[in-house]
Amino acid sequence: MSRGTVEGDEAISSLRQAQKDATRQRVLDSARDLFEEIGYEATTIRAIAQRAKVSVGSVFTSFRSKAHVLGQVMQERLGDLYGELDRILPHLRGSGADRCRSLFAAHYAFELRRTRLFLAFIAAAYDWPADPAVPVFGTNPRLRGMVRGCLEGGIAHGDVRPDADLDLVIDLLIATYAWNFRLAVSQGVDAPRLIALMDRQIGLIFAGLAP
Amino acid sequence: MNQMTLGTLSAVQLRRPTQRALAKLRTREKILAAAKALFTERGYEGATIRDIASNAGMSTGAVFASFTDKSDLFAEIVRAEQVALFEALTLAAEGLSPKAAILAMVDAAVERHLADLALLQATMSALWAPGLGAQLKGRVSLRSVSDLIVRTLTAGVANGEITVTADPALIAQMLRDSYLAALSRAAKEGVTAETVKRRVKEEVEIILAGARVS
Repeated sequence: MSRGTVEGDEAISSLRQAQKDATRQRVLDSARDLFEEIGYEATTIRAIAQRAKVSVGSVFTSFRSKAHVLGQVMQERLGDLYGELDRILPHLRGSGADRCRSLFAAHYAFELRRTRLFLAFIAAAYDWPADPAVPVFGTNPRLRGMVRGCLEGGIAHGDVRPDADLDLVIDLLIATYAWNFRLAVSQGVDAPRLIALMDRQIGLIFAGLAP
Repeated sequence: MNQMTLGTLSAVQLRRPTQRALAKLRTREKILAAAKALFTERGYEGATIRDIASNAGMSTGAVFASFTDKSDLFAEIVRAEQVALFEALTLAAEGLSPKAAILAMVDAAVERHLADLALLQATMSALWAPGLGAQLKGRVSLRSVSDLIVRTLTAGVANGEITVTADPALIAQMLRDSYLAALSRAAKEGVTAETVKRRVKEEVEIILAGARVS
């Protein structure tokens, strides 16, 4: 009898969890579309709740702020990007520079599919006073790991000095990648042009890393 | 006697507008100081004209007599910082060869920016903001410092320190971006000026090695 109650409680609790997850997902999908359609600034929590067909209160059971919703939307999008990259990375061959070019080109092509959303994310990352719910731009451990893989490939291939300070080079490459987006903000530069620019910058950085 | 009267008159005539101009200048300075403090503390969006006026001890009307709106006020602060930075970098680079000049500029810029990191962060935040960023860029030329770096690199091309195939504008942009990114990280991690200088210089070394500056 009591066992049955416990199982019943568990069933109810897992049902509640499933409902909560479904609500969270609907909020994230609605927010992602609104950020892209009308912009981050113009999007309100109320509008997100309305589109997701949930109450404003239930948005706040899963998220602390609009910035937090944005951070989670971007986190979720990264899952799709990494899915693509997991298919590309094992096939990368050749010099470290070319591996890096392929890696960053895939990033630009992906992020600029939803330009407004991504630019809102960068703006939020530099928001002042800083919101701790928004991750620091350029510190994503997965991206750092992938760049490191390309650099190690370069050492094996012979176009990167074995004694190069890889952490420093990773910082430099990610900073270059990130700040190029400024051209998308100020001049509306598209993905192919950002990729071409990054290709030249990578050439310069790797010339400085030659053994 | 006649001449003396004339002289006294003209002195009075001169003094009155000068006093008024000085008072106006003092008002401007007071507003700018209050605005700078509030922008630094609360960011561009969080600072209101009403609070800026109240902190400067005057009415919002007095603020609007000197500045057209909040973005005008902010642009003026950014412009003044940019001028001061340009002067500090020019002084630091004086008489040095291109590579030494760039490393000396890194030292000078880090000293300046770390002294008021919050203001730099507030500025970067405004520059990245959709809409406001483009508006600010239209009002404030951030070119002077970039041009100084390009001129320094071009001098390197002229004296053979740097290969002619390298593109000074591209290198200047990369130097500035890696510098700003390093400062952003420093702000989050709370590291010392010496650490920031060392890291930025190591990054500069890689970029300049790529451009074959010796």
